[in-house]
Amino acid sequence: MDHRKYMKILKLDEAELRSRRAFFELTEADLARLASLRPFAEKVTDDTVEEFYRLLLSHPETKKFFPDELTVRRVKRTQREYFLGLFAGRCDLAYMEDRLRVGAIHEQIGLATKWYLGAYRKYLSIIKKHLIAEIGDPEEVRSAFESIQKLVYFDVALACDTYLAAKLDALERHQAAIRELSTPVIRVYDRVLLLPLVGAIDSHRANQVMDSVLTQVGQTQAKVIIIDIAGVPVVDTRVADSLIKTTAAVRLLGAETILTGITAQVARTIVQLGVDVSAMHTLSRLADGIELALSLVGKAVQPAETKKRRRRKRSEAEER
Amino acid sequence: MNGSIPILRIGEILVASVQTELRDRVANAFQEDVLNTLETTGATGLVIDISGLEVVDTYVARVLAETGQMAKLMGASTVLVGMRPEIAATLIRMAYPMGGIDTALNLQEGLALFGRRKKKKK
Repeated sequence: MDHRKYMKILKLDEAELRSRRAFFELTEADLARLASLRPFAEKVTDDTVEEFYRLLLSHPETKKFFPDELTVRRVKRTQREYFLGLFAGRCDLAYMEDRLRVGAIHEQIGLATKWYLGAYRKYLSIIKKHLIAEIGDPEEVRSAFESIQKLVYFDVALACDTYLAAKLDALERHQAAIRELSTPVIRVYDRVLLLPLVGAIDSHRANQVMDSVLTQVGQTQAKVIIIDIAGVPVVDTRVADSLIKTTAAVRLLGAETILTGITAQVARTIVQLGVDVSAMHTLSRLADGIELALSLVGKAVQPAETKKRRRRKRSEAEER
Repeated sequence: MNGSIPILRIGEILVASVQTELRDRVANAFQEDVLNTLETTGATGLVIDISGLEVVDTYVARVLAETGQMAKLMGASTVLVGMRPEIAATLIRMAYPMGGIDTALNLQEGLALFGRRKKKKK
C-alpha cells in the first residue's frame, strides 16, 4: 500500500500539519533545540539503536519480525536514520510523509500497535538516559527531553493514524465488495436478467436493489428481470413492499418482473400480511421463472430431440 | 399546433418524441396537441417517447398519465416508451407509479406492441 494514499485518506495537508503542531505545542524553538542536539544524537546513535534492538530481539513476539542477521542489520540501519531524523530540526509535510511511510511499512509486516507503542516507550527511556549522561545539567536535560518528547509523540500519532488508515482502506474495499455482491444482476439469456437475492434485506439494500435493477434494465434493454428470493431468510411487509416498488419501477421502463423462490412460508406470510403482489408474476421455482421469462421474449424451452424420440415419431407417422 | 413537440403519424398510430425539457406550460400544450391530432386523424394508437427527458416531476408525470387516459376515452391506446431508470426510481419513490398507462423499453417495442394487438384482433 502506498503511503501517499494514506496521506489522502487522513487528509494530511498544510492546514492539518499546522493544527497538529499547535496541539502538540511543537514550536520552531523546539525544532531549533533539536537541531542543536544533533552532535549529541550522532554520538549516541549506535548505542541507542543497539539497546533498542536488544529489547525487540529479547521479546518472543517482536523477535519473529527479525528472522535473520541480514534483516537485523538492515533495520538497524534504517533505525539510525530515523533516530537522526528526530534531530534534523524540521517538521513539514515531507517529514510527515516520511513518518507515514515508516508507519505503513510496520503496518504491512503486521507489527501490532502495542509493540509499536511499547517500542517508543523504550526509545524515550534510552534517550533520557543518554541525555542525563551526556548533558548533565538537569534544566537543560529537561527542556531537551521535552522537545524530543513532543516530536516523538507527534510521530506516534502519525503511526497510529497509518494503522487506522490501512484499516479504513480495507474496510472501504470490503464494503464495496459487499455492495457489489449484494445485488449481482446476471444476464441469463438475451434480454433476460436474473437477480438472486441472498441474505437479509434492509431498507438501504432494498434501495440498492431497485437502483441496480433499473440501471441494468436500462443498460441492457432487458425485457424481463427475474428476482429470486429463495435466499432471503425473512420476507416481511417491508421487503415485500420494496419488491413491489421495484416491480412498478421496472414496469415504467417497459420491462417485466418475475418473482421466484417463493417458499410455502413466504407465501403464507405474504397472504397473511395482506400484501398485494398481483402486479408481479410469482413462481416458486427459479426454473419455472426462467421458462416464463423465455416465453415473454418469444422463446421456449422444449425437450431435445433424442434418437429414441425421433424413431418413435417416425413410427407414429408410418402408422398413420 | 402551438407546442414545440412534433407529433408524427404512422398509419393508425401517432408518435410523439419528447426531446426537450417538459415545463408545465409545454406539457399542457403538448397534451392539447395530442388530443387535437387524435381527433382530426382518428388514430387508434399513441406512442410517447420520453427517452430524451432527463427530469420528470409529478406534475409532468400526471399530465402524461392523464393524456393516456384521455386518449383512451377517444378510442386510442397509449404506450409510454424509453423512460430513464433514474426517472422511474424517482417516480416510484414519490409514490407515483403512473397506473393505467402501458410502457415499453423503446420506440421500436412500443410500435411492436400495436402490431401484436392488431394481430390479436384479427
